[in-house]
Amino acid sequence: MNKDLEHKFLIAFEAHQNIVHKICTLYAKDRDSHHDLFQEISIQLWKAYPKFRGDSKFSTWMYRVAINTAITQYRKEKKRIDVHDIDHVLFKTSTYEAYDREEEEQLILMYAAIKSLNDIDKALIFLFLEDKNYEEISETLGITEVNARVKMNRIKKKLKKILKP
Amino acid sequence: MKELELLKKDWKAKESGFPKLNREALYALIWKRSSSIVKWLYYISIAEFVFWTALSILTRSTEQEEIIESMRLSTFITVLTVVNYSVLVYFIVLFYKNYKLVSYQSSVKELIQSILKVKKTVSQYVWFNLSMLGVATLGGLIGSILYGPESETILEMAHQRENPFIFWGIIGLVVLVVIALAIGLLLLFYRLLYGILLKKLKHNYKELIKLED
Repeated sequence: MNKDLEHKFLIAFEAHQNIVHKICTLYAKDRDSHHDLFQEISIQLWKAYPKFRGDSKFSTWMYRVAINTAITQYRKEKKRIDVHDIDHVLFKTSTYEAYDREEEEQLILMYAAIKSLNDIDKALIFLFLEDKNYEEISETLGITEVNARVKMNRIKKKLKKILKP
Repeated sequence: MKELELLKKDWKAKESGFPKLNREALYALIWKRSSSIVKWLYYISIAEFVFWTALSILTRSTEQEEIIESMRLSTFITVLTVVNYSVLVYFIVLFYKNYKLVSYQSSVKELIQSILKVKKTVSQYVWFNLSMLGVATLGGLIGSILYGPESETILEMAHQRENPFIFWGIIGLVVLVVIALAIGLLLLFYRLLYGILLKKLKHNYKELIKLED
């Protein structure tokens, strides 16, 4: 990568790095693996950047690379014994102070519920939480818009079932 | 689903809680991987040292010492042991130095150079151990042929031959094959032990080279 491109990448990456952190929150099982996944995604982004043509937004491209990396790592990890650390889900729990007791409980349940989804569903819910519309979701994940809608409805049903069994 | 909306709200609030990463930190992320591999090389070299020392202490017996004595190998073994242990300690120090070097490196270029250094140390270490094994096996075989329990029979057989050179030639060949086998086995052991780590290091090295381009 030449210096110019490197500089461009670092500026864009610095501005959008929260995206990577948020993906890690969903896919990593504890703080250590959050850090490892962040590292892995950073390396993959760096390696893939020279091929980024700019025909989509940087953030859209970043979502795609980061989600793909997270899913690949997640599948590798899954072959090992899986112990989820629920505390990690509550990363920065201080925000709960702003909620009442019922809301706080709901949030804890919701985070645990989305953590229990499979890797693809996690990607969808992640993009939903990022306020992406179905067009953007379908572009990022490489599925049709209809498919994205159908999947999202299924996930909502799944989540309802987990919350109110 | 109102829970989902609540979640979305909280998700946005998380935004400010994440640490910020700059260019130096990104470099750091990548070289940390090398540092953990080099750390393992250091640990393994110590573990190996302890293993062989323990093995030689545990298998030591007066019977064995008498055999060595009868083969007139005592001085040879003592010298070999002293040389061996001092060089091994030197290598452990080198491995440790490499580990520290990689840990404190901040630029990609320096890191690439350190990785090359690590690879060189490992291959020197392996070659030293292999040649030590070769020398020890050679000494042992010569000792046992000349002064071992069967040495009289062997010498007698050589004496009876019309051409003792061919006889000794064959003995020499057998000695070489035995040494080659011993070295081959140890080499296999090292390939398994260090091969995996070196492969990972090589992969990391390639990524760093790409990063430099």
